[in-house]
Amino acid sequence: MGRILIVDDTMFMRTLLKNILFSGGHDIVGEAADGAEALAKYQELKPDLVTMDVVMPKMNGIEALKAIKAADPAAKVVMCTAVGQEQMVKLAVKSGARGYIVKPFQAPKVLEEVKSVLSA
Amino acid sequence: MKSVPIKVEHEGKWIPTTMGIAEDRFRIDAPLNQEIPYKSVVDLEEKKNQVIITTGANGEGVYRIASVEKVLLVLKKFVITQASAYRLNAFFMSPAIRGGVLVQNAQWEKGAIAVMKTGIWFVSQEKQVCIPLDEVTGIEVTSREIQEKNLDVVKIDHLIENELVTSFVLCPLTTLQVLYNFLKEATRDTEVSEEIDPLTGQVAMLVYSGMDSSAIENMLKLSHKDLDVIYEKLLGSGLAEVLYVRKEVQLTPKGVRYISESVKSPMD
Repeated sequence: MGRILIVDDTMFMRTLLKNILFSGGHDIVGEAADGAEALAKYQELKPDLVTMDVVMPKMNGIEALKAIKAADPAAKVVMCTAVGQEQMVKLAVKSGARGYIVKPFQAPKVLEEVKSVLSA
Repeated sequence: MKSVPIKVEHEGKWIPTTMGIAEDRFRIDAPLNQEIPYKSVVDLEEKKNQVIITTGANGEGVYRIASVEKVLLVLKKFVITQASAYRLNAFFMSPAIRGGVLVQNAQWEKGAIAVMKTGIWFVSQEKQVCIPLDEVTGIEVTSREIQEKNLDVVKIDHLIENELVTSFVLCPLTTLQVLYNFLKEATRDTEVSEEIDPLTGQVAMLVYSGMDSSAIENMLKLSHKDLDVIYEKLLGSGLAEVLYVRKEVQLTPKGVRYISESVKSPMD
């Protein structure tokens, strides 16, 4: 079980992910609504894993991922992309993402991916 | 034509018999005693260890055949590659995304695609995949990076055991649009034509994600009655189906007496 930071610009998606991850026994240590806030929260909370939306205001998910990896190369970040943004996945992997989930997602698959990244 | 053991459904019963599989036709022995050219086949369905083969423009012949996997694989391959269907050679990747997670070892496979009455079939040397048309949830032409080039592909979203799966088809540009149009037409029945308000859309998303009614009520701050109204909208528009009916109860005086007595200590 891990301490997780959820990053998404919509409260709805954050709440959904929070419910799913909580039901899987994880601790949600924080939430962020954009990339800049994600970087600040990461440095403050040092979570075990970050779920990161790609399209966000201020600093997008890829930029935030790069910034987090620059600050902590061991950071475990799982990208959340919408259907049709699969091209982003390659970019995210190149930038150091450990996993990815595509919206809309189902709870068991999210938990499986998070578990796999946490245990890697 | 080499004969293999099968069971065939005849007059409502499964009858053991034999089947011959040739290059251009198959034969079912007694009690059917029929030879069926693959080109007369208009539909092929698969159910566990059975296939259902429909022949004739109006579906005059329906053959339900049960056999071991090896036999059905050979039969299906001949049917898919020769049946009366929209068919083309293409590359496919199925599944590419499953339940919102990219399938790590997904690969492009070279093969053929046949669009039949009830399903889209992919067949390669290694694989036979069927996507039933009534399980298709979306079709679009999109761009995908393949060998460092951005190429147009047809993306098919579909359900497998209530899990959203995405498959891709890659074929020459000249046939890509034709395939897309053909698939759109074949799946017209499952297109969403109704306007869905944002709240109903959010509820649908939560249902898909696996949230139960209580979780949805808590997350969206909805009353039980409000959620029921939204469920009715989803049911009415064919976007959802009833899984089970939940009961809400209150205790009768007998029930209250029971729980009152159950909390009393022996000293009371």
